[in-house]
Amino acid sequence: MNPCLHFRPLRPAVASDGASTLELLITVGSPERPATSSAQRPPLNLALVIDRSGSMAGSKLSHARKAARFLAGELTERDRLAIVTFDEDVTVLVPSQPVRDPLLFVSAINTITAGGCTALFDGWLAGATQVATQLNSQGLNRVLLLSDGKANEGLTDAMGIAAKVEGLTQRGISTSAFGLGRGFDEDLMGAIAAAGDGTLAQIESPQQLADLYASELQGLASTLGRKVSLGIRTRNGAELLDVLNDHPRTTAGNFQLPNLRYGQELSVGLRLQLPAWTPNQEIATVRLAWDSPEADGRQQRSETLTLPVLPQRDLDGLDADLQVAEQLALLQANRQRRQAIEELDRGDLQSALASIAGIDMQLAGLPQSDAVQRERRLLAEKQALMQQDRNLSRKRLRRESLRSSLSVWEGRDDQA
Amino acid sequence: MDHSTLALLAGGDAAGLEVYGLEQLLAVAGEQLGEEISPRTVRLYATQGLIDRPGKEGRSAIYGRRHLLQLLLIRTLARRGLSLAAIAPLAACSDAELLEQLLHLGEQPAGEPGCDASSPASTEQQEALAYLQSLQSESESSASRRERSPSLLPLLGSPLSASSPSLSPRRSLTPRTAGRSSAASSRWHRFSLAPGVELHLSEAASIPPAGDRREAWLMRLLDRLREQLDNEG
Repeated sequence: MNPCLHFRPLRPAVASDGASTLELLITVGSPERPATSSAQRPPLNLALVIDRSGSMAGSKLSHARKAARFLAGELTERDRLAIVTFDEDVTVLVPSQPVRDPLLFVSAINTITAGGCTALFDGWLAGATQVATQLNSQGLNRVLLLSDGKANEGLTDAMGIAAKVEGLTQRGISTSAFGLGRGFDEDLMGAIAAAGDGTLAQIESPQQLADLYASELQGLASTLGRKVSLGIRTRNGAELLDVLNDHPRTTAGNFQLPNLRYGQELSVGLRLQLPAWTPNQEIATVRLAWDSPEADGRQQRSETLTLPVLPQRDLDGLDADLQVAEQLALLQANRQRRQAIEELDRGDLQSALASIAGIDMQLAGLPQSDAVQRERRLLAEKQALMQQDRNLSRKRLRRESLRSSLSVWEGRDDQA
Repeated sequence: MDHSTLALLAGGDAAGLEVYGLEQLLAVAGEQLGEEISPRTVRLYATQGLIDRPGKEGRSAIYGRRHLLQLLLIRTLARRGLSLAAIAPLAACSDAELLEQLLHLGEQPAGEPGCDASSPASTEQQEALAYLQSLQSESESSASRRERSPSLLPLLGSPLSASSPSLSPRRSLTPRTAGRSSAASSRWHRFSLAPGVELHLSEAASIPPAGDRREAWLMRLLDRLREQLDNEG
């Protein structure tokens, strides 16, 4: 039950008589879950870390409690759950323990009330410690961090926090970051989820929390591989120009991919520069590596890319693979949102609007598939939103820009 | 928790002892839990309404099987790190439910909260913990260097908005905010029940979910109130 690696070039050949640029997708396809193992998902070892700072008061906190009760109810005695709350102080409300009696958790959850500041890092640290004391190398170990605010107590710098979260990911505990409402720091939450090898969610309405937790549990239960990395080694003078997904890099210089889930496919977009190519010459070797919840040690799989060669003249006459073209354009669209964010941050609304219009123009030139139409709707929505609510448009742009490189939860409101 | 003893407790009369003096209660519970329990602890739990008021026989208090079950449950949960406010509704259950919870909990080894004594710490676990400890000490040392900023609090909206939805029709939305403190129990909510009658509820108090448990909890509150009114009279 291993994932498979495929190459899908935009055009099915490279030039024999001069330099050429090769655009292609690497797809990582995970098989459907085998029917036999569906009853036995790996045990989950979770800590739910809930922001109870003053800004959470009211419906946000009541939905957070409700969703936490839902989460406790969905887990079984094979799983462990800890509940931590933080404002400027951190409270371990329920230390990590098997979920034999959800009522015990529910009772504790009901005591959560709003307090003061947002010691986000300390809260994460306490939740992480709860998971670590019970670390189960045969299971999935994760901190779920829910916050509606900017970290304003303790360690607050995004890169500093992300670096520490990443250190824990390397030690077997992942972190998902859930931003709630309008006040959270989308850059920080995105950085935590990326460093944490977890899910990023941005929830505008607290009513979506239970859906989010359900999806997170489902995602955890269908995890085939975590700490997934992709190494790309070019050969014979080929040069890797670009990886469109903007994945974080691992210390070994590989690309860090989101978790592999049964039945899902990930696409990585590449641009390579090749000198005049000779037949049967290897272009690149790609190596996928991951940790499996079911097997010890690092799993891996390699594929080597070779393509037919043709004179440039004939190459120009070949049709492009439209599905590949679409996927590459969608990856570009995610990336270009970051430029719009930078322009917004400079206060240059006109340039940001122009950037979004530019993305849309590229998409307008493609066959209008469902995916392309959906993307264009999202862009039109951003154009309108930028002028009415810059904060919200920035949050959504950030979330959308991270879809190439992260597991990003997209709630139903996204379909609008 | 020793299963055979719980089985005896489940059997009621078969356990023989149905009525205890304080000393006996402490001895039986202490043996079950493997820890010494002081009379003060029991009195504290009784005044906080976590365990039922003892009966009277002459001048001395007498305790029954239910008190024992409550005491065992409270201590077991407290050792797992649950706050008394969170334990309160669980200890207000029927005898059968108390026993059921104890049997559930009995399957988990006691001692270190939720720690599986059966599985020794793996290398990964030790590494992750050591890493987090290093972050912790880093965080603490930077905190002590930092001038702790004067509290800008309270930045509070209206706390505890919906943990008691079924009470809302009569709830007065004017919580008294008695200054900010990290002890959550320092904030109180005031419910106007009738002209001249108010209920003050600490934010730390846990209201059981609607249903049997809440009914049992309300009945107990009513009993306590009746008792106190009788004493006044």
